Amino acid sequence: MAEVPAADTAKTTTPEQPGQASQSATAKPLAKRTLKDYRSEVKPTWCPGCGDFGVLAALQRALAERNLDPRDVVIVSGIGCSGRLPEFVNAYGLHVVHGRALPAAQGVKAANPDLTVIAVGGDGDGFAIGGGHVPHAVRRNQDITYIVMDNQVYGLTKGQPSPSTPTGMQALRRSVSMPKMAPYEGVLEGQLNILAMVIVYGCSFVARTFSSQATEMAKTIGRGLDHPGFAFVHAMSPCPTFYNTYDPWKESFMPLPDDWDTGDRIKAIDMAMEEVGDGVFHSGVFFQDVYRTYTDKLQDVYAKAYGDEQATIDALMDQYA
Amino acid sequence: MDQLDLTIRIAGENGEGVLTVGDVLAEALARSGLHIYTFKNLPAEIKGGASMTQVRVQDTPVRSPGDALDILMVWNQENYDIHVGEVKPTGVVIYDPDECDADESLALTQIGVPLQTITKTVIKTMKSKNVLAFGILTACLGIPFDSAKQMVSESRWGRRKEFLESNINALKQAYVYVDENGIDLGLRVAVERKNGHAQLIMTGNDALCMGALAAGCRYYAGYPITPASDVMETLAKAMPRVGGVLMQTEDEIAAITASIGASFTGAKVMTATAGPGLSLMVEALGLATMEEIPLVVVDVQRGGPSTGMPTKTEQSDLNLAIHGAHGEAPRIVIAATNTEDCFYTAVKAFNLAEKYQTPVILLSDQHLSQRAQVMSRPDLSQVEIVKRKQPELNGSVTPEEFDRYEMTEDFVSPMPLPGRHDQHYVATGLEHDEHAHIDYSPEAHIRMTEKRHQKIESAVNEPGFVQRYGAEDAQLGLIGWGSSEGPILEALDRTLAKGYKVAALIFKMLHPLPEKEARAFIESIPVVSVVELNASGQFANYLQGRLAVSLQRFNIITGLPFKAGDIEEYIEGVLQYG
Ligand SMILES: Cc1ncc(C[n+]2csc(CCOP(=O)(O)OP(=O)(O)O)c2C)c(N)n1
Ligand code: SF4
Ligand SMILES: [Mg+2]
Repeated sequence: MAEVPAADTAKTTTPEQPGQASQSATAKPLAKRTLKDYRSEVKPTWCPGCGDFGVLAALQRALAERNLDPRDVVIVSGIGCSGRLPEFVNAYGLHVVHGRALPAAQGVKAANPDLTVIAVGGDGDGFAIGGGHVPHAVRRNQDITYIVMDNQVYGLTKGQPSPSTPTGMQALRRSVSMPKMAPYEGVLEGQLNILAMVIVYGCSFVARTFSSQATEMAKTIGRGLDHPGFAFVHAMSPCPTFYNTYDPWKESFMPLPDDWDTGDRIKAIDMAMEEVGDGVFHSGVFFQDVYRTYTDKLQDVYAKAYGDEQATIDALMDQYA
Repeated sequence: MDQLDLTIRIAGENGEGVLTVGDVLAEALARSGLHIYTFKNLPAEIKGGASMTQVRVQDTPVRSPGDALDILMVWNQENYDIHVGEVKPTGVVIYDPDECDADESLALTQIGVPLQTITKTVIKTMKSKNVLAFGILTACLGIPFDSAKQMVSESRWGRRKEFLESNINALKQAYVYVDENGIDLGLRVAVERKNGHAQLIMTGNDALCMGALAAGCRYYAGYPITPASDVMETLAKAMPRVGGVLMQTEDEIAAITASIGASFTGAKVMTATAGPGLSLMVEALGLATMEEIPLVVVDVQRGGPSTGMPTKTEQSDLNLAIHGAHGEAPRIVIAATNTEDCFYTAVKAFNLAEKYQTPVILLSDQHLSQRAQVMSRPDLSQVEIVKRKQPELNGSVTPEEFDRYEMTEDFVSPMPLPGRHDQHYVATGLEHDEHAHIDYSPEAHIRMTEKRHQKIESAVNEPGFVQRYGAEDAQLGLIGWGSSEGPILEALDRTLAKGYKVAALIFKMLHPLPEKEARAFIESIPVVSVVELNASGQFANYLQGRLAVSLQRFNIITGLPFKAGDIEEYIEGVLQYG
């Protein structure tokens, strides 16, 4: 937790910082890791053709490019098809309850800021049941990368509409490619503009990418990992089983303009709002700026307050004497 | 010499300062080598409404808030009317004759002291009315002026030099008034200045925070809720000084899941809440059980259900604490009994969580959390700290070979920590096998269910969580838990002294249930009654279900703590009339 002056680091409660155990027999400190080093023994359980395979591979590639020790990586997820991802990665994983990947990831990062912390999950997990946590994760701006695997449908529970399902989307009788549960003329609720919301919340890094564009997705996730702060990656990842969007999305995906200014939040909001009407998805980094992280600010507090722990607790008790 | 035992109540409009008078009086008496026990009853509003504060003072540790009043001071008519009925026949009422009319028909000593008028015309600073009231009380208790003066200078009234003079003047006017009007209650409370810091005056929540820090808690996440908020506020100031993190989250679900995340990395974590928050945490509590993650959740119980009575006390979250889960999610549930016990029980909560790799719910309640008591200063070097079972550092076991949920003799498995151990694994709330791989087979579910249950079953053998008191050949046995201990034991002593054959069994661990002790107690005594602050007898029902026995109950649901007198009366009633 506290990164305090060396003389004061003899703490009993916090594990030693990463790096101290790097000479172990099982770690590969020197060898350059490849994508394969991040493959776990568990074969993905997703349907053939699921976009999540693409997200998994892109993440593994981004981890390999950074040669991160699996010991120092924690992938946190909620519930959903997408939430199974940590199981398939050779690293630490924390698979929590539906909608709570972000708070759990924040606890991990707060308790040990030296870890690389990645939160992953679906559009329902992140923006229906867990929607209340997103703005607060943004406000804390911890150095966490949050990858939302958006298929615009509830995959795991078999095809109900999600907050990002387009309005009017109809249930076709026996169709396996349209959301269920949309009565009458289709989904009555409006479609959340996830990307615009996150930009408006004040997020320090907002990007979009598509699971069918493997190289580009690995690059975007990598930029998210490198970003010092809370990085939001909107990973469009079709569900061919319940809402097959491959064909329309291949048509509508296009890169952001070459001269795109990632430092202009208002333009980024405009772009995120306008593209809906235009029926396009832009890929790339919409917005990025570096703000001080939660950990940075904590270090300031520690610099003023931290002292010998036992003596401090004794001193704290004096106020009751 | 008779034991000193006085119960003093001060009542007025909320926000007027009566609470300050009570606080300063309690602190001053405690610093003078006496034992105190405070009790406040507040309206839910920040300002306005009748509020009162009570101090019971004894020369030995105080165990309950006190029964009838020895001294009642009221500042206005509303509070006179509310409280005058609780004064002992031998008690004294001090009232402001300009603000209220005393009921002359009562056979009580009633003394009019025009607090408001003296403040306005003689002292001339309205702020000093508190000090005047304090002085009237200390003078009535027979505390010499010089001692009272020292009390005032060492209190919050003495902190700001510019007000000290007028405050001391107010105190002097109090002594002058008492002297000139020949007021003498015959009391001579002996005060003796205690130097040093050997005794602490703490509320239950204060002690709980210090215990948590001493146990090594370095991550706290929480969402404000009465009466648990001051846990977060106290730790907010303390955490940075010990290198910890305090996070005010957006709700209780975030608080508990963030705590689980922090504990996953090896930190000792806590979150504190009250009933509504505990309700929101239920799903994640099951997750912590499933993933075998150490976690301390404090529930400061208040009157329920729903928003209920936030500023009132109750022991009504027991069902939720023990059984609140979908599926079967065994956890350890313990309860603190008094202020000092809050410190040591908090330490134990962390040790149990770490040792058994499980969530531990520590039950407190509104009254326990807010009242002040005197306790001996804990010796931090004597605080025993249990470390989590972890794999060998730099061991050669690969992640592929490593079993996070290995079946061991005590069912507790070594837990690798990210950043520290190479044996990474994925903790999941889905059913899994020893290797942490998802597995829904009957065999895996049977093995793991048994592991999760067996693991914490042995916690009943931990020392100090159940204690028997009273007569060996008792005719009536009382069972209590948590903060009812004090009033039960005081009632026990009083009735034993009158020759009644009574005993008590006090539980601080509620789940797993110390069954052996419960059964031995119940089977050896003809009549056993469970004493608790709830309507349905939650602990009684639980005991009956587990032990297939029949039990009597004594419940009150006033939102107020037990008085020793309530229980004394109950004991006499049962034993006299059967
Ligand atoms: C508290 C709770 N409510 C409901 C569910 C059932 N549930 C599991 S996943 C899910 C939605 C999944 O959709 P999404 O988050 O978009 O993930 P996807 O499967 O599409 O990747 C629901 C409703 C649950 N597990 N927990
Ligand atoms: S149901 Fe859809 S999201 Fe889930 S695994 Fe199958 S294709 Fe992927
Ligand atoms: Mg989805």
